[in-house]
Amino acid sequence: MTSIELRSVSRWYGNVVAVNDVTMSIEPGVTGLLGPNGAGKSTSLDMLLALRKPTSGRIRMFGDDPYHGVKSGRVGAMLQSGGLMPEVTVRELVELVTKLHPNPEPVATTLKRAGITQFADQRVDRLSGGQTQRVRFALAICGKSELIVLDEPTAAMDVETRRLFWNSMKEEVAAGRTLLFATHYLEEADQAADRILVINRGRLLADGTPAEIKARAGARRLSFRLDRVDEPFLLGLPGLVNLEVRHDVVQIQSSDSDATLYAVLDAGYRPSEIEVTSLGLEQAFLAITAEDNATNGHSAGETN
Amino acid sequence: MAGTLALTKAELSRLMHNRRYFIFTVAFPVILYLLIGRQVNAQAYGIAFGAYYMISMATFGAFSGALNGNAQRIAQEKKEGWIRQLRLTPLPANAYVVTKILVSLATTVPSIVIVLLLGRFYGNVHLPAWQWPVIAVTVWFGSTIFAALAVAIGYRFAPEQVQPITLIIYFIFAILGGLWFPLSGFLGKVGSFTPTYEAVKIGADVIGGIAVPAGLAIGLVVWLGIFAALATVAVRSTAESV
Repeated sequence: MTSIELRSVSRWYGNVVAVNDVTMSIEPGVTGLLGPNGAGKSTSLDMLLALRKPTSGRIRMFGDDPYHGVKSGRVGAMLQSGGLMPEVTVRELVELVTKLHPNPEPVATTLKRAGITQFADQRVDRLSGGQTQRVRFALAICGKSELIVLDEPTAAMDVETRRLFWNSMKEEVAAGRTLLFATHYLEEADQAADRILVINRGRLLADGTPAEIKARAGARRLSFRLDRVDEPFLLGLPGLVNLEVRHDVVQIQSSDSDATLYAVLDAGYRPSEIEVTSLGLEQAFLAITAEDNATNGHSAGETN
Repeated sequence: MAGTLALTKAELSRLMHNRRYFIFTVAFPVILYLLIGRQVNAQAYGIAFGAYYMISMATFGAFSGALNGNAQRIAQEKKEGWIRQLRLTPLPANAYVVTKILVSLATTVPSIVIVLLLGRFYGNVHLPAWQWPVIAVTVWFGSTIFAALAVAIGYRFAPEQVQPITLIIYFIFAILGGLWFPLSGFLGKVGSFTPTYEAVKIGADVIGGIAVPAGLAIGLVVWLGIFAALATVAVRSTAESV
C-alpha cells in the first residue's frame, strides 16, 4: 500500500517557488529524499506532515488527508525544526509523547532503541547536541507508527552513533513499515535507502534505487590513452554521459562502462592505460544537479 | 482528552523543576500585603482596607502568574519548535492552548490561597464562611482572562519581545485596576473598566453586602472574550510558522 502520494504539488512563498510541481509516491521500505540545502526537502516534509498547505496539488497519506494521518498516530516524525519540552527529564518527555499515541512501544524499548537509557533521568535542556538528536529520534519511534519521517536524522551524530542509528532503523523497517528520511549525506542515502528521490531547486530530478541513480548520472569513469582520437565516434558510444579529451587522454563518464569499452574495442581501437573507476552516489548526485542547474539556470528558491 | 491531561501533567511536573514563577505569583503579593495590608481603621471600596488589599493582592498574584510566565514559555516553545513537535503527534490541535490555560489555573491556586490565609490570620479579615470561596473563585476565573492574553502574546511575539510587553501590561493593569492602591478621579474612572478592577470590586461588594452590579461580571466576560479572540487570531495566523 502506498504510504504517501504527492500529485502535482507546488508550494510558493511569495513569488519564490520552494516545491515545483512534484509528483511522487512513497512505498513501504526506506526512501531517502536527497538534495542540497534549499532544495525544498523541508518544505516537502512539512507539507506531507500537514504542517504547511501546498499552494496547489494534492497530498494523500494512506489514502487520506495527511492531517488525519498525523492525528490518528500513523506517523512518527522528527524534523530539524522540531524542538523538545524543556525542564523535564528525558524519560518524562518520552513517556508523555508515548501516551499521546494509540498503540505505542513500551517506554523502556524506545529508550533502548534510541540509545538514551543511560541519560534518561537527565534534564532535556542539559543534553549535548548528539544526545538531543537521539531524544528527538525516540519521539519519532515511540508511537510504533506505520510511517516514520526523519529530517536529517544523523546530523550532530558521530560515526559510531550513526551506525547504531541505522542498525536500529533497519529493525524498525523490517516490520513492513515505511521510513522516509531527508538528507544531504549522499553516502548515507546510498547505504540506507532502498530508493532515492533526488530533489533540487524544488523539482524532483530522479527517482530510483541507488544503483539506478548512479547509472543515470554515468556512474563509472572510464579513461584511457588513444593515439588517434576521433571525437564524433567517441560521442556516439553507448552509455556515454560525458566526454572529456585532453591531448591523447580520453575520459568518459558512462552509465554502462562495459558496453562503452567493448564498443571502443569492437571498432578496432586499441587504447592503453585503461582505467575504470566507480563514481559513487556523490558524483552521480553532483552530475544530476549540475545538469539541472545548467539547463534551468540558477534562480529559484533558497527557502528550505 | 487523555492526551491533554498527559500534557497538563507533564507541564505541572515542569513547574516543580522550575520554581521561579513563585516570585511573581506568591512572593510579590505576600510582601506587599505584609508591608501595606494591615491598616487599622482605613477603608477602601466601602470595606476594611485589609480586606480590600487581600482581594487586590490575590488578584495581583493570580493575574501576573497567568500572564508573565505563560507568555514567555509559549514564545520560547514556539521558537524552539516544541509546539511544532506536538503538532506531529496525535494530540488534538487545540490541546496545547487548553493545557496552558489549565496549567495557569493550577499555578494561580497557591498564590490565591496563601494571600487569603494571610488576610485572615495577619490582616484580621473576618468573613462569613461562604464569602471565602466566592472571592477565591472570582479571582481564579478572572485569571483566565490573562491566561488567554498570554497565549495571544506568546504566539505573536518573539521571546525577547515578550518580557517588556507583559511587563508594561502588568503595570498598567495593576495600577489602573487599583491593585496597589485605590484610585479616584479620572484615573479611577478609566481604571474601572479594567478586568483587574472588576475582579477586586466584585469581591469587595460581596464582602460589603452590596448586590454585585451585573456590569462588573459582564465586564469580566467581555475581557475574556476579547483576549480569547486575540489568542485565536494569533494561533491561527501563525499556523504555518509554528
